[in-house]
Amino acid sequence: MILLNYIASFFLIALGLYCIVVKYNLVKTVIGLSIMDYGVNLLIITIGFNPGGTAPIFTWGELKPESFFVDPIPQALTLTSIVIGACVTAMSLALVMKLKEMYGTTDTREIRRLRG
Amino acid sequence: MIIEALKYLAYVLIFPGFLFCFLTGMLLCGIDRKLVARMQKRVGPPILQPFYDFFKLCGKETIIPAAANRTVFLLAPLVGLAALVVLQLFIPVFGFSAFSNVADVIVILYLLLIPALSIMIGGAATGSPYAGVGLSREMVTVLSCELPLVLVLLAVGKKVGAATGSGLCFSLSEIVRYQMLNGSLLGKLSMLPAAAAFLMVIPGETGSHPFDAAEAETEICEGMLAEYSGAPLGVYKLSHAVKLLTMTSLFVMLFLGGIGGAIQNLILGAGLSGGAAGALIILLDVLVLFALCAAITAAAISFVHAVTARLKIEQIFKYYWTVVAALALVSLVLAWYGL
Amino acid sequence: MNMLSLQHFPIYSIMVLFLGAFLIVIFGKSKVFRHAVALLATFASFFFMAMLFKPVMLEGQTIAYWMGNRVPAGGYAIGIALEVDALSLFFGLLVSCVVFIACVYSIQYMSHDDNVPQYYTLFLMLAGGVMGLVLSGDLFNMFIMVEILTFAAVALTAFRNTANGALEAAFKYLVVGCIGSTCILAGTIMLYAQVHTLNLAQMSALIPGNLSTATKVAFALLFIGFCTKAFLVPFHPLAADAHGAAPASISVLISGVLTKSGIYGLIRLSYFLFQSMALGTMQFWLVFLGSVSMFVCVTMALAQHDFKRLLAFHSISQIGYVLASVGLCTAFGISAGLYHAMNHTLFKGLLFLAAGAVLHETGTTDLGKLGGLSRKMPHTTVLFLIGAFSISGIPPFNGFASKWMIYQATYQKAVETGNIGFLLVTICALVTSTLTLASFVKVTQSVFFGQLPKEYENVKEVPFGMRLAMGILAAMCLVTGLLPEAVTRYLTEPAARAVFAVTDYINNMMGAGYAQSAMTAPPAVQSVSFASAGVWSPISWLCLLMIALLAVSIVAIAGKYDRVSVKSPENLGGKYDLFYGGEQTVYSQVGGDDLFWGFKHNWRHYFSFMHELHSGVVNDYSLWAVVALALAIVYALIVL
Repeated sequence: MILLNYIASFFLIALGLYCIVVKYNLVKTVIGLSIMDYGVNLLIITIGFNPGGTAPIFTWGELKPESFFVDPIPQALTLTSIVIGACVTAMSLALVMKLKEMYGTTDTREIRRLRG
Repeated sequence: MIIEALKYLAYVLIFPGFLFCFLTGMLLCGIDRKLVARMQKRVGPPILQPFYDFFKLCGKETIIPAAANRTVFLLAPLVGLAALVVLQLFIPVFGFSAFSNVADVIVILYLLLIPALSIMIGGAATGSPYAGVGLSREMVTVLSCELPLVLVLLAVGKKVGAATGSGLCFSLSEIVRYQMLNGSLLGKLSMLPAAAAFLMVIPGETGSHPFDAAEAETEICEGMLAEYSGAPLGVYKLSHAVKLLTMTSLFVMLFLGGIGGAIQNLILGAGLSGGAAGALIILLDVLVLFALCAAITAAAISFVHAVTARLKIEQIFKYYWTVVAALALVSLVLAWYGL
Repeated sequence: MNMLSLQHFPIYSIMVLFLGAFLIVIFGKSKVFRHAVALLATFASFFFMAMLFKPVMLEGQTIAYWMGNRVPAGGYAIGIALEVDALSLFFGLLVSCVVFIACVYSIQYMSHDDNVPQYYTLFLMLAGGVMGLVLSGDLFNMFIMVEILTFAAVALTAFRNTANGALEAAFKYLVVGCIGSTCILAGTIMLYAQVHTLNLAQMSALIPGNLSTATKVAFALLFIGFCTKAFLVPFHPLAADAHGAAPASISVLISGVLTKSGIYGLIRLSYFLFQSMALGTMQFWLVFLGSVSMFVCVTMALAQHDFKRLLAFHSISQIGYVLASVGLCTAFGISAGLYHAMNHTLFKGLLFLAAGAVLHETGTTDLGKLGGLSRKMPHTTVLFLIGAFSISGIPPFNGFASKWMIYQATYQKAVETGNIGFLLVTICALVTSTLTLASFVKVTQSVFFGQLPKEYENVKEVPFGMRLAMGILAAMCLVTGLLPEAVTRYLTEPAARAVFAVTDYINNMMGAGYAQSAMTAPPAVQSVSFASAGVWSPISWLCLLMIALLAVSIVAIAGKYDRVSVKSPENLGGKYDLFYGGEQTVYSQVGGDDLFWGFKHNWRHYFSFMHELHSGVVNDYSLWAVVALALAIVYALIVL
């Protein structure tokens, strides 16, 4: 179960990178970035997961030495990372829109005024 | 404190600073011109001709082109000359050095760039297209000489450093001191290619035949000097003469420093001591240095000048980065492996 | 705890910047208000850093600050921490100082743009991100700050989105930057999985003894992540795009500050987290990467025809110097590298501001179109020349001092280890330095000297505020060049010592004795020696000045250079025209990217190969990133 998660997360990261490297459409590049990000999020959650643990939500006095819960820190990290991922997508889509306006294309092979 | 200041003032102004550079540089220049002429079966100018030229130029009107940036145009030659004089202070005269223990080859390497830079900036400030072409060629010449020069200096540094046990020697006065005790580096087999490479660098650095593409007077009207006249031009001519002295005396100190030891032994062996002996040693040092510089000028500049034709700029670059750099590299590798 | 105690200063120094950004979003409509807030925030940030100078640099303290006073409990650091040792403070001072100067410059530089409030918001976010990165004591916070600064930098790159290539540059930077950030995040979390802490100090104690496959891969991921931030080869094309397109005041931050944060990350990673620099193979890796960056980027710069792109490639070339020197793992090498990092920030800032001044007045940075500006912009010209001499290492400017130390450090390392490879680094560095000079001679000739094109007849000098910012940087270039002894003693030596004082760093954070108990084998305290630190005597520079003064005054007295005797050129016929060999005078500017034809001809195969390689397609650059990552992982698995 956990192993599958690890495999899936690395598969997602690799898929995202593949998409960025191979696809020539700007929107697909953005999709690649998102997929890569999801892969990392899955990885973070998986690392914090304890099979059979409860949600790490306690009030004062509820936390006892025998309570068994998943690691809360990676979950907090994932939240941050999801927010950042959303920002990346928003910003890159905004740039894609502007690029399409200016260059009249979304093909990365034609958006290369800066080179050499 | 005041004595100290006066001492440094004397260093800067008289010896081994401005006056010394002026006299010996101009003389070397005169000797060079005379020798080239004799080799080409001409009579040639008198040996003192560079002095006459200089004073004549100083008396002439200075014309500043309308398109030029006057401040830069006028200041550039002076900065170049000042840098050369400072450079000369860093080069010891056998046992004597104006700044003890700070004479560092890296400083020398960078100070050598300044005169070339000043002539380029000065030329560029005129806006003349000839200056533009000259600047382009001058920079490539500097680039060409840089690699062999670096390799030679590192090779010598390694050789001396290995011998003195410090493993690393960038100090020129240390290099000379080592040679005064142990004989000249030219006598070491592994340093011969480096010395040859340095001899080939000398005409490139001083911009003389066949590496004078930057100032090709028959082609681009002296390039960066095209717009210069009067005193600033005189300063440039003087800089050129001082550079002759700088490069040749650098060669002497790098490869023939052992002669200083011989002089010292000669004087001290003759039973002299004290202040008189010191003065005599310095006097002899200077005379010998001058003679050696003249000999190297004759061999590396005048002779080459007389027998070669001007190279194209891309040929200069190729020559320095292949033939000369390879020679220097051989020395470096030999020195590295302790030969 | 007293609110004014030194403990709080690091967090203040970060918070004022973010607070300023926030205030400008809300109240930024008023011009006076936003300028006041931006200046005040950046100055306050610098002030708080400067206040830490005495305790950290001189007295050798390390300032640890726990957010909400959540100190470690039960041997685990749960809270968020800031830790300021001499290394952090060195970078913090540098960053806050340059940010302030760039802010001064921005006020007049950005006065003609739209959306200026957004500019200042992003500017302060970028500054705050870098400050947070260098002061953070927590790996995950370093990631957050990296994201903040990448975002702000991308947005600022695209700020003038009508300019040629700005959007394109921003998009490329975003894609590859995000690959880098994702690498950092993935590396962070893999380390967390192994040691269950994110605190830098605690990780430094736990990781070196427990290297596993996962930590090695994490190392490679973090390494590549910080390389992207420093734009090292193979990420250098992004730097060129981003610097070229961004407003000049932002280029200053990207090149002077952002790349430094990458270097800072690499130092923390290799010297602290993994303490891997004792390995010869790691030294080889860093020095090799540095040398390649140094050389490849300087040749790329020679082939450029845009002022700012050229400067951008030089940035990475100089970062190569820094990395090669830092990678030597000698105290002297690190000191030299940090010195050069500081100098690079100063002179590259100056050069970018000069480029910005040219752009501000003429509207272009194309080397082929400019020329002869020195008569119209004399002050900018002089300031630019100071920057150009500094970066080319011409004495007595600061580039010379640090480059000299780098040569000595690399050569000394070569002699000590008997490895001829380090010698090649020395030679490479020396030749690169001359190539740098060559490309700046090209810029000087193409932009400031030569002939003035007709359309720039009415160009004026830039406003005083911009010149002031450039003047401050130029003065600092000269001062740090003339006083190398003071700079090394008070700034770079404490920082270099801090790099080797890992145990102190850990104990300061986690409580005394933690390092000894947690680490299986605490690192042997390396001897820190500056024996070969060659610092020349200032008296020689006094002599230089004396000679220059004498020469000038002699000639002035002789009357040749005096304004009266030198004829004023106007209306005196052909005598003062340029010499054209008798032909009619025409506009003929020699300049642009083919100036050093003689050099490029011999290297034509190399240059055409490089030109093909830098195709400008974002997929290619991403592919390079992936390949670099793969190589780094393989290398880390083998050698670590």
